[in-house]
Amino acid sequence: MFDFLGSIGGAIMTPLYYFVSAIMLAWHWLFEQIGMDSGSGWTWALSIVGLTVTVRAMLIPLFVKQIKSSRNMQLIQPQLQELRKKYGHDRERFAQEQMKLFQETGTNPFSSCMPLLLQMPIFFALFRMIERASRLGAEGAKGFLSGDQAESLRDAEWLGGRIADTFISSEHLETKIIAMAMVIIMCATQFLTQKQLMAKNMPPEALNGPFAQQQKLLLYVLPIVFAVSGVAFPLGVLVYWTTSNLWTMGQQFWVIRNNPAPGTPAFKAKQERDRAKGKIVAEDPVEQAKAQQAEAERIKRQQPKRMTREQRRKSGGASKPKQSPKEDS
Amino acid sequence: MTWILARLLRAYRVIISPLYGQVCRYYPSCSAYALEAVETHGALRGTWLAARRLLRCHPWATGGVDPVPPAVHRRGEACSTS
Repeated sequence: MFDFLGSIGGAIMTPLYYFVSAIMLAWHWLFEQIGMDSGSGWTWALSIVGLTVTVRAMLIPLFVKQIKSSRNMQLIQPQLQELRKKYGHDRERFAQEQMKLFQETGTNPFSSCMPLLLQMPIFFALFRMIERASRLGAEGAKGFLSGDQAESLRDAEWLGGRIADTFISSEHLETKIIAMAMVIIMCATQFLTQKQLMAKNMPPEALNGPFAQQQKLLLYVLPIVFAVSGVAFPLGVLVYWTTSNLWTMGQQFWVIRNNPAPGTPAFKAKQERDRAKGKIVAEDPVEQAKAQQAEAERIKRQQPKRMTREQRRKSGGASKPKQSPKEDS
Repeated sequence: MTWILARLLRAYRVIISPLYGQVCRYYPSCSAYALEAVETHGALRGTWLAARRLLRCHPWATGGVDPVPPAVHRRGEACSTS
């Protein structure tokens, strides 16, 4: 059974090794052309950064599609607001109703699982490639990586540490320090991304309640996850991960600046920027919806209640709608 | 086998899922769907259902509510997920 699963895994991974190594070696070749030493750790580290950038750049169409499909979010804000009022206390139910609304309106702010699903095997392939090169040398070469290149990758030194070594396996102090430094950078970028999202691109109402609780928990769970993987992954993989985190942060910064969610501080900031530049300022649909609701309520209170002449005489005028009979209200 | 898969899925949901926040365009989310599918339909069919759901979860899909089909014993009926 497990042999069978193993061979399925191998069949999936083999093309990925070729894919990952092709991109990495292309970058490596490019850096060699501009005069970098082929065995240098910097060349390999930058090749891995190049791999990350290439992969993330390839996913940009998905990202653009996601931005487009979340654009109508502004139009469905009033309905969303209503759902939040109705089911806000019940997170599961709210999530379900929200999704139903997204489905009906063809608007969905989430990016879908596809980018993740595509990136995970790439990450794993890179991990396997580096780990095999480190353990088996020339014999562990996978994909387009030649035996010599695998050895070069294994021996490459970067900032005094070795790119193919892990925190646990290495005896070099430098490797350990670099690994820890990268874990800290990963925690910091993740934290900033999260914080930026919460502080700027979320309506204030979403910040209390179960969602916020979950977010707070995350802030404790994430450093542990990063620390545990930081000691087990080779430096090269950590380079990939860190770069990927930085990219995500930049991408989110762009979204918050250019496509902020309505009803949030980020939206107000964009309105102000647009105003300063003399551009047409988009109204905040959430604020509009709130204003409309307030207006509707104000009008409703002024509505005179229907009364019979008898009742009016009893209550001494039409100015006391509270005394009107229940069935009329 | 079912137990191992369910365990792996739970571990994923605790450790890896939080890294990315909500990305799924469906309710329940893909990993929740996979967990439920494996638990109600067993390893084989559960994996099949989960794989199909993952393929459905792309930026061109509208998303929405898409529950795990209930356990049905006859073959033909159970496959009609749309």
